[in-house]
Amino acid sequence: MSIAKLENVHKVYHIGKIDFPALRGITFSIEEGEFLSIAGPSGSGKTTILNLLGCLDKPSRGKIFLEDKDVTGLATSKLADVRRKNIGFVFQTFNLIPVLTAMENVEFPLILAGAHDSKERHRLTEEILTEVGLKDFFHRRPNEMSGGQQQRVAVARALVKKPKLVLADEPTANLDSVTGEEILQLMLELNQKTSTTFVFSTHDKMVMDFARRIIRLRDGKIESDQKGSPK
Amino acid sequence: MKMLLKLAFRNVFRYRRRTVITFSAISYGLGLMALGICLYNGVNTHAMESIINTQTAHLKILAPGYFEKKEEVPLEFNIADPERIKALLKDDREIQAIESRILFQASIISGMDELPCLGVAVEPEVDPLVFNIKESIQEGRFLESSEPEIILGSTLARDLGLEVGDECVLRMFLSTEDFIWNALDLKIAGIVHAENPAVNRETVFISLSLAQEALSLENRITELAVRIEDRNRLSDVRESIQNRLAVLETDYEVVSFKEYASDFVELMKMRSRVQVLIPLMMILIATLGIVNTMLMAVLERTREIGMLAAMGMRKTEVMLVFVFEGAIIGLFGSLAACAIGGLGGWYLEAKGFSLSFLGDKLADMLSFLPMEVFRGDLTAGTLLFTLALGIVVSILASLYPAYKAVKLDPIQALRHVG
Repeated sequence: MSIAKLENVHKVYHIGKIDFPALRGITFSIEEGEFLSIAGPSGSGKTTILNLLGCLDKPSRGKIFLEDKDVTGLATSKLADVRRKNIGFVFQTFNLIPVLTAMENVEFPLILAGAHDSKERHRLTEEILTEVGLKDFFHRRPNEMSGGQQQRVAVARALVKKPKLVLADEPTANLDSVTGEEILQLMLELNQKTSTTFVFSTHDKMVMDFARRIIRLRDGKIESDQKGSPK
Repeated sequence: MKMLLKLAFRNVFRYRRRTVITFSAISYGLGLMALGICLYNGVNTHAMESIINTQTAHLKILAPGYFEKKEEVPLEFNIADPERIKALLKDDREIQAIESRILFQASIISGMDELPCLGVAVEPEVDPLVFNIKESIQEGRFLESSEPEIILGSTLARDLGLEVGDECVLRMFLSTEDFIWNALDLKIAGIVHAENPAVNRETVFISLSLAQEALSLENRITELAVRIEDRNRLSDVRESIQNRLAVLETDYEVVSFKEYASDFVELMKMRSRVQVLIPLMMILIATLGIVNTMLMAVLERTREIGMLAAMGMRKTEVMLVFVFEGAIIGLFGSLAACAIGGLGGWYLEAKGFSLSFLGDKLADMLSFLPMEVFRGDLTAGTLLFTLALGIVVSILASLYPAYKAVKLDPIQALRHVG
């Protein structure tokens, strides 16, 4: 089943009086369980695609489907509901809530979803934090953890609500290569274990090597779409 | 909801210094406001009370024409038949007591010194039922029947160097225009120190019969002072008195303390206008403090707000986090304000606030005020008002920054560097 699909998507940004076409007719579909990298130089439209897939932005033209459901015309508040339920985000700059502990940060999306009681929330939170290797860091605040540990918390936070799709925008850009590789390894493991679909943007060769499919962008168009074997 | 509160609560302690500054602005501002209200209420009630108890009573019955010239305390506008009026009002249950009095211009002579004063001729047995002069006797005793004795205001006595038991001469003016006067040799029975400095500075008391003889006003008086049971029924009682007196051929005037002390009432009104300004200014200070803190917070947390939006947090929830933050600072600030207002107000109520620290000269300049010591009046209402105001203002002040926060485009916000 296709998790997400872009159909002839165009996106034009208006910067002052100048129209800047970020995407010019993008069409591809993402199958369940994929580990997909969107690659390309900066300005090629990687982040725009992630924003569109993440329902943070709307296309200027074309259609976006999530699980075969057209989300193109949804109102902003409806899009927030879609994100809340179906999409996990991992950011380049970790973006944990600084006043909350690792546990609380991971629990946060569950509370937003409002689907579990507190006991269940704690169980799920502890489970995923253990899985990302932070068993001893439950009660640390972000500023008491290394970058790699923070990104692990972020991965746990993205996965705790068992979303259909996890979007990671340059997840390793702020990490050293060893830590970056560890994070990618972790995401790959989780992908294989839970068959959660991962899409990440990068211009880092090492990151691309992890992907099982790489979509290369250039000037807002798909340059190539190759299946590869993951490391 | 609980989560949002927790988040807000922790965020409050995230920027300690700024929180402390805002907290202080609110607690000082509103605390001073509470104190101001306390003092104002106190002055309002105590000052009016002091004027009633020493000068105006609740109501005065005057001969026609007297009120207009009351500053001159004219003797020619007098009441010829006070006993008849008293008889007419005798069975009015709402009246506590009625006293016949004469106010006259006089001066006190002691040796070579002479000071002008206001003479008040009183019925020694009735006066304590209407006024509290007797209670305010500092030395000696109050008047007894028609003995040739006098009570002096404390400041007057001090200025003339007179003490209880001394002799002095009271020069009583029958007509100031023609400079006709009569003089009495009197013994000082007591010295009065009332709450109202005007009494201490310029008033002397003698017995009514003595004054009537000396002023050639046999059986006549210049005013009837009335004390009523319930001050809130003032205008009703006044009307009923007017109705009862309608049978008389003379058109007596019935004047309430509010009219009699109209200067002071005006002053109070002016003050109450100032009084509105003070809370407004305090609210402004508190508002600016909160708005500033919260706008800074929104700016600093732009990326965090973007992240919250990306995670699917609804706009109202994002707004609530900021509003809660403002409300929490406001709540603690207002609680501190209540502590300041409560402690200060308690002190003002118990000890009062004396003008004497200003020095004698300034205190004398302010002696038009009917009291020397300002006492506060601390009420639970004042504290509740302070608390509620603080919280409401903080919430309102957080709305704009919170609105700014949700107006952010999550994509732009996430890209924000800072």
